[in-house]
Amino acid sequence: MAATTAAAAALSSLSFLSPNPPISFLFPKSTKPFFLSGSFRSLSLSLAPPRAKASDIDTAFFDDLDPEEEVVFDPPTPPEGFTPPPAFDDGPDETEDEIAAAYEELYGPAYSGVSVLGNDVFVMDSKVKKTSAFGKVKKEKVRDGFEERVVQVRRVTKVVKGGKQLHFRAVVVVGDKQGQVGVGVGKAKEVIGAVQKSAVNARRNIVTIPMTKYLTFPHRSEGDYGAATVMLRPAAPGTGVIAGGAVRIVLEMAGVENALGKQLGSKNALNNARATVVAVQKMKQFREVAQERGIPMEELWK
Amino acid sequence: MARRYWNINLEEMLEAGVHFGHGTRKWNPRMAPYISAKRKGIHITNLTRTARFLSEACDLLFDAASKRKQFLIVGTKNKAADSVARAAIRARCHYVNKKWLGGMLTNWPTTETRLHKFRDLRTEQNTGGLNRLPKRDAAMLKRQLSRLQTYLGGIKYMTRLPDIVIIVDQQEEYTALRECITLGIPTICLIDTNCDPDLADISIPANDDAIASIRLILNKLVVAICEGRSSYIRNP
Repeated sequence: MAATTAAAAALSSLSFLSPNPPISFLFPKSTKPFFLSGSFRSLSLSLAPPRAKASDIDTAFFDDLDPEEEVVFDPPTPPEGFTPPPAFDDGPDETEDEIAAAYEELYGPAYSGVSVLGNDVFVMDSKVKKTSAFGKVKKEKVRDGFEERVVQVRRVTKVVKGGKQLHFRAVVVVGDKQGQVGVGVGKAKEVIGAVQKSAVNARRNIVTIPMTKYLTFPHRSEGDYGAATVMLRPAAPGTGVIAGGAVRIVLEMAGVENALGKQLGSKNALNNARATVVAVQKMKQFREVAQERGIPMEELWK
Repeated sequence: MARRYWNINLEEMLEAGVHFGHGTRKWNPRMAPYISAKRKGIHITNLTRTARFLSEACDLLFDAASKRKQFLIVGTKNKAADSVARAAIRARCHYVNKKWLGGMLTNWPTTETRLHKFRDLRTEQNTGGLNRLPKRDAAMLKRQLSRLQTYLGGIKYMTRLPDIVIIVDQQEEYTALRECITLGIPTICLIDTNCDPDLADISIPANDDAIASIRLILNKLVVAICEGRSSYIRNP
């Protein structure tokens, strides 16, 4: 069994992926405040999901696997004196202490509650955000370069036996002005909470827009989501963004300066925002198409 | 990625019954390239493909282990639960062998809260704090502790999301697979003839019903992980 408890090297291997620091939001300026409540509650902020990065695991064999091709199994020759290692069931039984020691060497004591190698058992406490001691803590820093704009705040109702339960639903568009946008929805009992939730949601679905150097689209495109259809068209520099409501906000937050857009189907703000995102995702840069098709770019402009 | 020798031979796999699939009526047509024959109403998987994929998967695990990645083995079938636990303990990986709680990975902050509670309860138990409480409270806390031990016992050393997840049966662990896909974690999955090979990143067509076949494949993967770790220890 190969996992030897050899030289107990203090492993600080916990630094590969560090979870994102807790997000906090600036109270955004709402364009259409429907109903602002008087009391501000301190809200529990949620971490963005820590994304695993697989960039250095080489799955090349499996990525371009053609299922139909004939696969040949030719293992390399066994090295001399090769004895098959014992199965995990047959090997010598390890005592709990040995197991705990081996795990602790690899991962630190983590959440096990016991520490065989003498490390501090409460090492994971520093990772917990202290839900703050006194009063309400409002962290007011705007983070990671994204600006938020509220598209629509609506009061929605759920009818129950006792009466009507009111919630607020906020649609927020988040973007840096450099080609990244995201649309998010969130519902809560108060407007600010809803806006924050929707901003978190928006940051999870961010999309990159292909833009030319004159800050406009490479070509026309149409996109639909639900019953909303949106048509986008590039424009010459100096035109500005000529589009209505939700479409205009999405394009502005993306950093597009010159474009024409029209809502062709339903006028629902959320669906139109999502439809613009769909339309924009369908666009390709000229350079990419030329590369994929293997033809020079001049051919595409004819 | 250098190819190494993993002692995979087809006779061993035939003995363990890795080539048996599920009944013909329950198949997933996407598995057609991996099925070689149909015998007595059961599909037979193509063992050369299995062997090749298994060896490539082992190479990948070896590389990942030598780069100090964290693994998670998920297997909740009653038959496989015990072998999953033992295999993971042998390989020093995290494991889930009782029910996979929804949101274990996607709702990681909440899982962390539960792990904190687990650790606190354990320290209380070790220092004897539970005996000082009235009987009813102590009984409640002990029940909570045993519950946390069954569900979270295998991941109590997990400090962050795992880098590779090994899933034993795709149909059983569909939620786990879905979570890994949304988070972008590469997965290795044992695929049977009624599963979808395109969902997991690395799929090994094998029999997920027979204990012998699960043990065999887990054995190879575990050996790969151990070798990778020891190669790291030799030359970090």
